[in-house]
Formats: sequence, C-alpha cells, structure tokens
Amino acid sequence: MKMYIAQTEKSAKNIVVDDMILTTDMPTSAGSKMLDGYISLFQAEAATKLTDAGYKVYAKANTGEFNLDLMGETSYYGAVETDGVLTTAAAKAIKDGEAMAAVTLEVNGSSARGAALAGLTYVKPTYGTVSRFGTIPAVCSGETVCVTAADAATAKEVLWAVKGHDDKDGTSLPQEKCVFDEVKEIKKVAVAKSLMTGDVTKVEEMKAKLSAQGVEVVEISAEELLLAKSAWNILMSAEVCNNVSKYDGVKYGYRTPNYTDLDSLYTNSRTEAFGYLTKSVILFGSETLSEANYYKVYDKAQRIRRVISEAIAKVFGEFDAILAPVSSKSAYTASEAVANPYMAYEESLYIAPAMITGLPVVVTDGVQLIGPAFSESSLLALAEKI
Amino acid sequence: MKYETVIGLEVHVELATKSKIFCSCSAEFGGEQNDHVCPACAGMPGMLPIVNKKVVDLGMTAGMMLNCDINRVTTFDKKSYYYPDLPNAYQTTQWFSPICVNGRVDIETSNGPKSIRIKQIHMEEDAGKLVHDDWSDTTLVDFNRTSVPLIEIVSQPDISSAEEAIAYLERLRDLLRFAKVSDCRWEQGSMRCDVNLSIRPEGSDVLGVRTEMKNMNSLSAITRAIKYEVARHTRALETGSEELVQETRRWDDNEGKSYAMRNKETAGDYRYFPDPNVMPVVIDDEWFDRIEKSLPELPEVKRAKYIDELGLSEYDADILADSRALCDVFDAAYAVCGNAKETANWIITECMQVLNKKKMTADMLAINGTSLGQLIKLVMEDKVSRPNAKRILASLFDKDIADVEEFAKQSGFIVSNDTSFIENIVKEVIAGDPKSVADFKGGKEKALMALFGKCMKQLKGNANPQVLREILIAEINKI
Amino acid sequence: MDIKTLERLQKLNQLNLTEEETDTLLGFFETAEKDAEILSTVNTENVERMVYVMPMTNIIREDIAKKLFTRDQLQEQAPEAMDGYWQVPRTVD
Repeated sequence: MKMYIAQTEKSAKNIVVDDMILTTDMPTSAGSKMLDGYISLFQAEAATKLTDAGYKVYAKANTGEFNLDLMGETSYYGAVETDGVLTTAAAKAIKDGEAMAAVTLEVNGSSARGAALAGLTYVKPTYGTVSRFGTIPAVCSGETVCVTAADAATAKEVLWAVKGHDDKDGTSLPQEKCVFDEVKEIKKVAVAKSLMTGDVTKVEEMKAKLSAQGVEVVEISAEELLLAKSAWNILMSAEVCNNVSKYDGVKYGYRTPNYTDLDSLYTNSRTEAFGYLTKSVILFGSETLSEANYYKVYDKAQRIRRVISEAIAKVFGEFDAILAPVSSKSAYTASEAVANPYMAYEESLYIAPAMITGLPVVVTDGVQLIGPAFSESSLLALAEKI
Repeated sequence: MKYETVIGLEVHVELATKSKIFCSCSAEFGGEQNDHVCPACAGMPGMLPIVNKKVVDLGMTAGMMLNCDINRVTTFDKKSYYYPDLPNAYQTTQWFSPICVNGRVDIETSNGPKSIRIKQIHMEEDAGKLVHDDWSDTTLVDFNRTSVPLIEIVSQPDISSAEEAIAYLERLRDLLRFAKVSDCRWEQGSMRCDVNLSIRPEGSDVLGVRTEMKNMNSLSAITRAIKYEVARHTRALETGSEELVQETRRWDDNEGKSYAMRNKETAGDYRYFPDPNVMPVVIDDEWFDRIEKSLPELPEVKRAKYIDELGLSEYDADILADSRALCDVFDAAYAVCGNAKETANWIITECMQVLNKKKMTADMLAINGTSLGQLIKLVMEDKVSRPNAKRILASLFDKDIADVEEFAKQSGFIVSNDTSFIENIVKEVIAGDPKSVADFKGGKEKALMALFGKCMKQLKGNANPQVLREILIAEINKI
Repeated sequence: MDIKTLERLQKLNQLNLTEEETDTLLGFFETAEKDAEILSTVNTENVERMVYVMPMTNIIREDIAKKLFTRDQLQEQAPEAMDGYWQVPRTVD
C-alpha cells in the first residue's frame, strides 16, 4: 500500500485523500505508472476546504488506476489486503485509526465497495455539491467527491466541510443548493428486486433493522435500474477514453525510453504505462463514440440515462429511499480481482444507478441507501439511528 | 468538356478577447514561448473549463454581421485526436449545436453581385504552435495559442472561382474587423482558411471528388492554390493522369504545388461527444438585443453617409470607413465640434502621423473622440493655436482628458484675447529689433514675418495670428 | 468486433496490445456489446439525451486575463524541454 505521509504528527483531525485528489505537497498518481510521482501545481478545492476547516490532509491513499477497478487491485503500487481480503487503502487508513475520514473521488464504485466491505459509513453527495476542481478527471458526468468514516456523524461533519459552490467548477451547483440541512424522516424504503442478486444477507439484515425502527420496506420491481449498468459502462468508458488521452509522454508523466518518432513515443509511452483495465476501457470507449456507433451506442446510453433518472424519480414519488446491495459478495481477494479484470464492469450493477444519475448514496452496515437529490441529511440521520 | 469549380471555405478567425476561451490565460498575440500557459491549456489534469462570456458575445456579433440565425441554446463538444499541438488530445468545439447557422455574405466580382451562403459558425479553441528545430532535429511545442478562442465560419459550396473566394474573404475580413470580432491578420494567423474544392462538368448537379487544403494564410497563396488545384483536377478528369481521391492536402506556396498529407487512416474518426463539464449557453432576448444594439453600421453605409450627408471627399471617406477605430473617433469628435472636414483632417493627417511615429496601425487608434472634438472646437474658435493643438493631441494619446479646455488652460495653451497684453509684447519686440522695423518700412515684407515670429514666440503661440498681425502693423505704423 | 477493428482502435488510441491481451479483450467486447444490445431494446424515440445530471445554464466568466504559474513551473516535470518549449521527435506535415 502506498501512503505518502506528509505530517507524521498524530492528530484527531487527520484526513486521508485518495490518489485522484490533487495535492501540492504529495504526489498524485491516479494509481498509474503514467503519473508516478506527479506533483500538481495546484490543489483540489476539497483539500483546500479541509485545511481551511482545520483538518489535516495527512496522507494519500492508493487507488486503482483512475479509480476504475473493483477496489484498487489495478494500482501501479499494488493492491491492499487486510487478512487476505481486498480492501481500499482509504478504508484501511480509517480502520487502522490513522485517519478520521477519507475524502476520495468516486468514479466507478470502488470507494463505496471499500466502505461497505469494511463496515464503514460512506456518503456520496448529490452531483455538483462538492467541487471537482483539482480532481483527476475520469468520468466527469458522474464522478463525485465522497466521504468515508467510521460513523455517520463523522462522515457528515467532513462532508459539510468540503461541500459548497465553487466558481472554478462549471458543474458546481449554486451555494443555496449545497446547503441541504433539512432532515426529513425516512418512513418508506423501496427494495429494488432487480438489484437483489448475489449475496443479499446485509440487505436482509437491514430490512429487519428498518422494520424494527418502524420504517416501511416494500419490494418493487424497477426493471429500469438494470439498464443502469449497461448505460453507465458505455458512458464511463467513453469519457475515460477521452480524459486519459492527454497522457501521452509529452508534457509530464511517463515517457518511454523506446521511441524513434512521435508515433512510437505516444504508443509506447501509453502502452507501457497503462494497465490492462484502463486499456480495455479506452478501446471500448473509443468504439462507442466512433462514427458508426455514436447514435446506436453512446447517444442511446445518454437517453437511457434519462429513462433511468425518470424511473427513479417515479420511485421517489412514493418512497424516501432505495435500499440495495453494494456488491455481489461480502469479500474478495486481490488475486481473484486481478484474475478477472472486468469484475468492476459486472459489479457496477449496484452502484451504476446512483453514478449515472448523480443521486446521493449513503453506505451503512454494508448496504446502500439511494435518496433523491439533496437528501443527504435525511439518509445520514437514518444511518446514525440504526 | 467545360468544367465548373465548386469551392467551400472554412475560415478560422481568432477572437479579440483578453483571455482564452476556457481558462484565464492571456490571449494576446506574441509573448515568449509558453508564457501564456496554465495547467489547463498545458493538458495537465484537474482544472475545469469555464466559458469566456466575451467569446459568446463575439460569436453572436459575427453571426449577426453575416446575416445568420443565432441558436438560442448552444453547446460545446469534445473532438479527439493526437497531435503535439493539442495538449489535451481533444479540442473543445461545437459539433451538435453551433452558435450560428444559415447566414449570407454578399460579394461583388467582375461578374456582378453574388450571395455566398454561410452554413454555420461555431466557437472553438485554437491549437498550439509547433516549431521545427533543425539543429536538434526535434519539434518544439508552444502552447501560447492553445485555447485562444476561435470561430470557424463554414460557407456552403457556393464559390466558383479564385476571384470569388478572394472577394468573399475580403468582405468577411472587412465585416469582422469592423464589428471588432477579430483583427483578422493573415500574417499573424488570426485569420486562416481551409479550401474545399472539386470540379464537375458544367451544369452537372453531382459534386466531384473533393480535396481540402488546410491552413492557408494569405490571399495570394489561396489564389495560386485554387488555380493549381483546378488545373490538377481538370487534367486528372481529362487525361486520367491521376485518380482523384477525397483527401487533405498541404499547399506549398514556395513550390507552387499541393501535396497529399499522411495520416489518412485515422483521420475523420474524431469521436465527438458533448462535454459534460460545460453547461449549455442560453441566449435570452436581453443578451440577444444587447449584442444586436452594439452592431456597427456597415462600412459602406458609413462611407456613403460621410460623403452624402457630411460632404467629405471620397478619398477621406474611404480612409475613415476602412477602419472601425477611425470611424468611432470621427463620429464622436464630429458630434462635439460639428465640422466634418476639420475632423477628417485631424484624424487622417495629425492622428495618423502620431500613429506612424508609434509604429501603430489605424485600427489601433484609441484616443477619446469626444476629447478630440473639444480640441478641434477650441482651434475653430481660435482659443488654441494649431501648433499648440498638436501638442495637446499628443497628450490625448497618452491619457484620457475629459475637459480639454481646462487642460489647455493649465498647460498655458489658451490664446490670449487681452490686446493690451499683446500690444506690450509687440512694443518690446519692436524696440528690441529696430533693424527689422527699418527693413519693413523700407519695403521688405519678409522683415515683418521675422518680427511676427518673435512676437509669437514671446506669446508662446497663444495669440490669434490675425489679431497679432494687425496689432504689429499698427504699432510699426505708430513709429 | 474483429481483429481488424481492434487494430484500428489501437492505432487511433495510441496503444499496443499483446496477442494474449487481444484475445481477452475480444471476449470482453462480446460482453460489452451485449450491454449495447440490451439498451437497443428500449424505445427512446421521445427521450432527450441526458448529458448533465444536474443541468444548469450560462456558467460563464468575464473576460479577464490572469497568470497562474510561470513557464518554468509548468515545465518542471516535462520529460524533455528546450529553451522554454516542450520537445518531441520531429513531426512531418
């Protein structure tokens, strides 16, 4: 596990940020050989806000390459395991008592899975409420800065420190939209049958807990949620393809020693520095945007995004939240994740509905609760209660 | 067989903004290599694009000048390809909803008037500059021009000769310069042109095989390139000397030949998609009206007005109407002083002289026209002498002077109307130069000029020459 | 998806796959194409595409120039730079 320790002094205010959040006093590598040792000239707005609020951004947590994978197994610096079980470096830092919270860029579900499998509380706020300025871009239309902590109160405290409007991010919502202090009691929760695949033990446990608290839990079909995975994988791949094309060995970052001309400089630098999953995503993403496929595949996925968004809005007309699993299994080993590079593509089944719509998610007790936009306070209040 | 030529032009114009389109770097021409660069336009991760409002203003202005429909909702898209002058490996442009569509430019050639239709105008970012270094046999990359705002004006294939192409480009340049959209300097690359050309049997409505010549940067090169390509296409069709293929070609103006460019296999697959980081720009009525109101009169309308209504000579009107800056100063100055001929003289002779000394062009005239009008009025009212007025004019180039009369007073440039004061000076001068007085009385007219000059010098130029002359003769006659 | 398309894609994206990677990727493309097929069964005729999940309009800035960093700072991590330029092998065209 790669952790850059900037300050060694132990502090109750220590926050770990992941390798997608730019900092000026520690390298930011996006888990890639391409950006090994890269030091940004400026820092992420989230890091500035943390410092301004009196927190210490004390270390950098390892991620998978561009945070696309299951839980960091594609990192140039290797996977992180605890007792033979795959975990994220950010989750480990919290479990080990090093950090009070982790602030990470959720790109494709790895932060949510890391939190869920480590039994931590995680909140991915509504898209646009935390500035993405100074984060390494991968899937700009959906990725969101999120917070993981040992409990809901701490997660809330840190999220409240990093959220807010930022003029430097053109997708940052107006300040009044970033307040969302109001707590609405969650009385009715929907369980989407379409997402109830794999190990659903934690969801069943949660259902029982919720019922015990007097929350009504109802199973719904919501077939549209199944489409999210396919649509998200297309949009995700296309955007990643475009966003990582700037890494070419010319301006900064890895340059191959093996080149004779511009073409071989580009190709060998990228071939040698990118991992297999990133390469697959680039090539698939490129194909979804090709002239022949654009309307059939990419544009179609953008329309499906609206179909899903409207279907979820309809659910929220009747329910206060959607309860779903975060992953298909309760534990993974690094070797199985490495052996199946497309695991993240399959596992995005669970996190894709919230990623593709930008809706808030709270992970608690190993499950996720998806809420309507700006319902973070309500979701966190429920998580704190149970 | 007789052939006809079908030409469509794609013209790139760099917009006259202070900063770049998506980041705050300076967009000024020149500067040391890579001095107008930030992490965003150097392709580093983490900065996000925010659209420069002035770019939209100028895009709309261009569209209105070219009789286009303005798309009230306009969006930005990413176009991907690899080249060292493109640091992000994508260019942000407008593919799905460009700011302007369906325009028209009217031209005049030896065949009479003709309309060239505009297909669309879109906003986008420029690429950087590559310098080939022979010594190290490498290519050097300068990102100063990267992300400088551009509009691309795409014509319909309505142009049928080099002459028409030139007339269209000259007209485009006049209109865009006049509306202050761009300085349109071919030599600095702020105006560039891609030429799409094909030929077909006369009267046919099927288009022939089209070739594209990119980045043409002078009218003479465009003329030569069009003539060369027409000849090449004609020869190919008539003799089968080569098979025409749809391709991009590079024009070598030194050799007077065009060459096919390599990298054909990947060209064209630009994988456009909407940029999720840039929200749509919505142009409401207020914004639309503000830009519409700011549009200048067309240069030919100005010219006709200057001649017909203000009585200026064609020569003067031509010079003024060629530059929006001259027109603006003229209109403001004329509004104050009410004398068109004087105002034209002051601008065309005196202002241009100062500009020449500063090695500046007419477009760079930036003095306050109202102040110039005040100054001309002071001269017309004999309150300031001409030589002193020129001194005040020089000051107008350096600073904004709101009250020119007050400035003239403070600088001691106001003509004295105090005749007794002038008489005293005249008496002193006469007393000090009896020889000249005697010469004048002896019939030497020149001697009077010497005395006049001495008086004027003593008066620091602040006397009405007519009044001074009368007093001088009266005083001499008293002797 | 065939080898030829995959070769074109690699070229377009400046990547080289090993033979083994190519085989695995062809398998992946098959799965990914199934994703696209699932979507094609949904009628989206009257559905607008959704580019922005939290749509806004006119996020624009005034035309003011600012200098953030020096050239030396920007080129500090350049693999190769000369006289204030980034440097690459000689390009043709």
